Amino acid sequence: MKQLGSSCAVIGMGRSICKRGEPEKKTPLQLMVEAAGLAMKEAGINRTQVGALFTGRMPRTYCSLQYNQTVLNELKIVPTFCTEVTAHGAGALGTIELAILALNSGMIDYALCVCGEASPLWIEMVEGSANWEADLQFEGPYGATTPSLYAMCAQRYMHEYGITPAQLARVAVENRKWALDHPHAAMRRRGPITVDDVLSSKMIASPMRMLDCATWFPGGIGSAAIVTRAELAKGREKAPFYVAGFGQCSTHEWIGERMGFWGVDPVKDGPNLVRTGASVAAKQAYTMSGLSPKDVDLVQTSAPFTFANVLMLEELGFCGVGEGGAFVESGGVDYDGGLPFNTTGGYLSFGQSGQGLYLLKEVADQIAGQPEGRPVPDAKIGMVHGHGGPNACHSVMLVSGEQLQ
Amino acid sequence: MDWSQGQPLRVGDMFLGLYQPSPETTGFWEGVKRHELLLKVCNSCGKLHHPRRILCSGCGESGLGWTRSSGKGKVYAFSEIHRSAGVFSKSTPYVVGIAELEEGVHLFSRFMARNNADVQIDRPVDVDFQVLEQGFLLPVFKLREE
Ligand SMILES: [Zn+2]
Repeated sequence: MKQLGSSCAVIGMGRSICKRGEPEKKTPLQLMVEAAGLAMKEAGINRTQVGALFTGRMPRTYCSLQYNQTVLNELKIVPTFCTEVTAHGAGALGTIELAILALNSGMIDYALCVCGEASPLWIEMVEGSANWEADLQFEGPYGATTPSLYAMCAQRYMHEYGITPAQLARVAVENRKWALDHPHAAMRRRGPITVDDVLSSKMIASPMRMLDCATWFPGGIGSAAIVTRAELAKGREKAPFYVAGFGQCSTHEWIGERMGFWGVDPVKDGPNLVRTGASVAAKQAYTMSGLSPKDVDLVQTSAPFTFANVLMLEELGFCGVGEGGAFVESGGVDYDGGLPFNTTGGYLSFGQSGQGLYLLKEVADQIAGQPEGRPVPDAKIGMVHGHGGPNACHSVMLVSGEQLQ
Repeated sequence: MDWSQGQPLRVGDMFLGLYQPSPETTGFWEGVKRHELLLKVCNSCGKLHHPRRILCSGCGESGLGWTRSSGKGKVYAFSEIHRSAGVFSKSTPYVVGIAELEEGVHLFSRFMARNNADVQIDRPVDVDFQVLEQGFLLPVFKLREE
């Protein structure tokens, strides 16, 4: 596994955004092919050189089976390896992981990875997403809502480790500060919030209140990356960044049925609602890269609730099991002086866009010293966590400006 | 059993048409009609499972039959929902969560209590059968009131 660490680099990224209210509404396909074009341009390669195409899952508002073929058709590329990578939202980073495996085989030289969503432009998200993550036979008929599926895990998390709502709220407060600096964050004009604001916001699904929950990114984002082997990445106009390590782990599709499955990490000791595949994925990424949590200069998660963010700090190795509450309370992820955590504002204040590589782009921009929002001084190593709900699928990627090993 | 009750099926909607009982779960819903809570049981190793299971995660066999649960259990996890969608909106706040049956199987369900605040982790519950908002008869769990 170690030989995969730093074996490949991203030599070009592209991102295309369309916000609600703009005169021309764009589809996810438009955004994705625009992003792909930008990525190829930055990488300095043309469409005839793309050896593999990997897309994330089909966007909710552009349903076509074999979505990867739809993208290929528009780009007029002829890859020799092409597929959709679906681990829910974690499949976005999965496209790059698969690209690295394909590149190491020597079968291809350049892989194009593309993801995108634009649901808030086209459908009513709150009503349309109510039971999006529920088992529609055994959970949906009870009136399960997506927040409630996470909230019951939060209830267990608080119960098992004595974590308090005020500790969880702290993440929302700190994430908001980063969002105020970011030109694309959904909440950039809403001003700062306090722990009391979170604790007095409207209850959505106990114990999660409005400000404990992710907001939707008010529009669509397409994002793309060109990945190649390290030796082909050298001597290019634009400095590449290296994928130092990665890992992925999925445990279930429906949260209720997860309880009937154990015997393997992260549910080795019996069923639970408080441990996830993120710890397994992170362990793999650290092992592959030779890095440890103390080497990491900034972290982006796609955790959609305050409690899930705090839990991820444990799972990704930044504090011990059950210590997430105390870690954030003591300033662990403070905007000033803490671990730079969700530097776009995160899912809570930048907004979630379903799936994408835009968090990877934020890390790349920070490492290059050209972020859109507040810079993290001297950032060298970044971590991106991709998640597919409810707490079902996790991808972790460690990236570095320099080739390690 | 036609869960969609004659309503046209629409992808991505709250309707259950696409998710109506399939061969591996019809036995469960027939039990519900008789007010019996059924679990899957492995004919080879005896392990009990969630009603949607096809393969035994204990021994890998696919020969799963049905066995009746006592319907007694406790609250494993819960959430009181204050914002919902469609027909459920008028019922808020209501409590959903996972019941841990004394047989060791966990089921997602609705928790019924005189006072929602009394629904807490580890509180004992008993199965009941009620028609919920969408018009379907479902197993729910009533808090064992002192
Ligand atoms: Zn068995």
